[in-house]
Amino acid sequence: MNIAVCVCQVPDTASLIGYVDGAIDYSRVNEVMNPYDEYALEEAVRLKERFGGCVITVFSAASDAAKEVLRKALALGADRAVRVSCSAEVSDPFQTALVLSRAITDFYSPALPDLVFCGKQATDFQSAQVPSMLAEMLGMASVSGITSMNPSLDSLRINREIEGGIEYIDVTCPALLSTEKGLNQPRKTSIRGVMEARKKTVGTVQVSLHEAPYVVMNALEPLERKKTCSFVPDEDDLIRILSQKHNLL
Amino acid sequence: MNKFLVFLEQREGVVKKNSISTWNRVQELAALRGNSVVSGILVGPAEIRQLDGAMAGNGMIYHAKEERLRLYSQEYYAGVVADTFKREDCTDLFFADTVMSRDLAPRLSVRLQASLLNGCITSDAEVDGVSRPVYSGSFLASFIPKRYQRIFILSSDAQLSSCSAGGNIDFIDVEPRSFSIKDIVPVVRQIVMREGMPDVSEARIIVAGGRGMGGAEGFTLLEQLALLLGGAVGASRTAVDEGWRPHAEQIGQTGKTVAPALYFACGISGAVQHLAGIGSAGIVVAINCDRHAPIFDVADYGLTGDVHIVLPKLLDSLKEFLKTQ
Repeated sequence: MNIAVCVCQVPDTASLIGYVDGAIDYSRVNEVMNPYDEYALEEAVRLKERFGGCVITVFSAASDAAKEVLRKALALGADRAVRVSCSAEVSDPFQTALVLSRAITDFYSPALPDLVFCGKQATDFQSAQVPSMLAEMLGMASVSGITSMNPSLDSLRINREIEGGIEYIDVTCPALLSTEKGLNQPRKTSIRGVMEARKKTVGTVQVSLHEAPYVVMNALEPLERKKTCSFVPDEDDLIRILSQKHNLL
Repeated sequence: MNKFLVFLEQREGVVKKNSISTWNRVQELAALRGNSVVSGILVGPAEIRQLDGAMAGNGMIYHAKEERLRLYSQEYYAGVVADTFKREDCTDLFFADTVMSRDLAPRLSVRLQASLLNGCITSDAEVDGVSRPVYSGSFLASFIPKRYQRIFILSSDAQLSSCSAGGNIDFIDVEPRSFSIKDIVPVVRQIVMREGMPDVSEARIIVAGGRGMGGAEGFTLLEQLALLLGGAVGASRTAVDEGWRPHAEQIGQTGKTVAPALYFACGISGAVQHLAGIGSAGIVVAINCDRHAPIFDVADYGLTGDVHIVLPKLLDSLKEFLKTQ
């Protein structure tokens, strides 16, 4: 079984992103694997451990720095890693999905992988668009934001959290699944994993991109959300204000 | 001319409130812009009488009421919406921000070659661009759609539409599509709804707790408060990671983004990742023993004190208050 996992890099959520002279200062930012992608990779590795016969290939469409994240993916149990290299700059979810779909199509040609895993969104821009777009381009079924997965004989039984409940879904391969927090507890890299990863190579797939982006980001500025807090002396006061002034109770 | 199409989401035959509110907000937008037509697409069998009086403006709602569309099916739904969008020569497609729309909209963006913008408020559609928080809510990014046709996912909004309901809506049945076998994957076998409280993403009032609640037992106070107010219980990342509350209740960067009219933050210090989830909340009330906690910087009202002392008193006062109402 061929499993593709798409990963990207994001600023560590713990690092503070600076703003100097009207531009973002990334100098103190620590780049890490997108947390949602860790669930994606972990789920793929667990499938392989449980059933054997799986080959996991990780794809990343980010710049040269992506090698770092691909190395980490290899250390965590992926078999092969592919950096997707592209002549033009990739700037929006549509283009990201497009270059990933071309890389995956090329790499597995003439077939398609049986399963594709993606994190449900990147924590930096939180568009949550790439997985479903990629599935549409690959002509695959997809389920976004899965919280549990059980392979049965002929299908995958999947749970997804919806507003106020859970959806129970059956899907057959090939399919693309995007992963939500709570799906699993990703492992940490082990020394043995890191050593083994050194023996594996990070390949490159060259893809073309002539399509313009669908969406362009034209401004980025610090967000100030300070309010002036009125401290109230006691609970009765609070209730009075909320009911009389704001009509909320 | 603008031709707006609003996706109306039904779950178990009931059209979602935030879909109706999206419809009303789009009607408002259409009135503002002039020269605009609003229609809706409702997929799956649904009780449409409930919509009488709740929906504003005039318009047509295309209803695909086949029984097999009762449960969400990505390919069926995408097909029906794309067909309607093309047949009616629409320019813009609007969704409420839900799990279903996040699954469906990116697929439609590719299929219709339309720009997809999420996290919008209606006025964004007015100025043809959207601003939304990125990088854990520490920056505001502006995005512009480059395609002629556009898809907007509207954030839920603490502000209710000022549009007066009671419009003149016509329902038109959509002819069943022909589907191939490939179209029925993935299949939603069933959905099971939790009993009791509303979901945090839809609640008008949220009572959220963090590390300061001290443990799972501490949250019973919040449950009581939520029950009294008809609201939902929310949790910070710490409370979820500690196993005190389920992930479905997590609010913040790796949880849900919420927009209640009233938000109680109890024993939550106010990490930037948490604040990223409550940017659109209406009135924020913070209860914390540390007067310098960052949560007070984004709160409208603050009560300093131990939640275990303040909350029981608040519950008692509230019960008294509600008796008099």
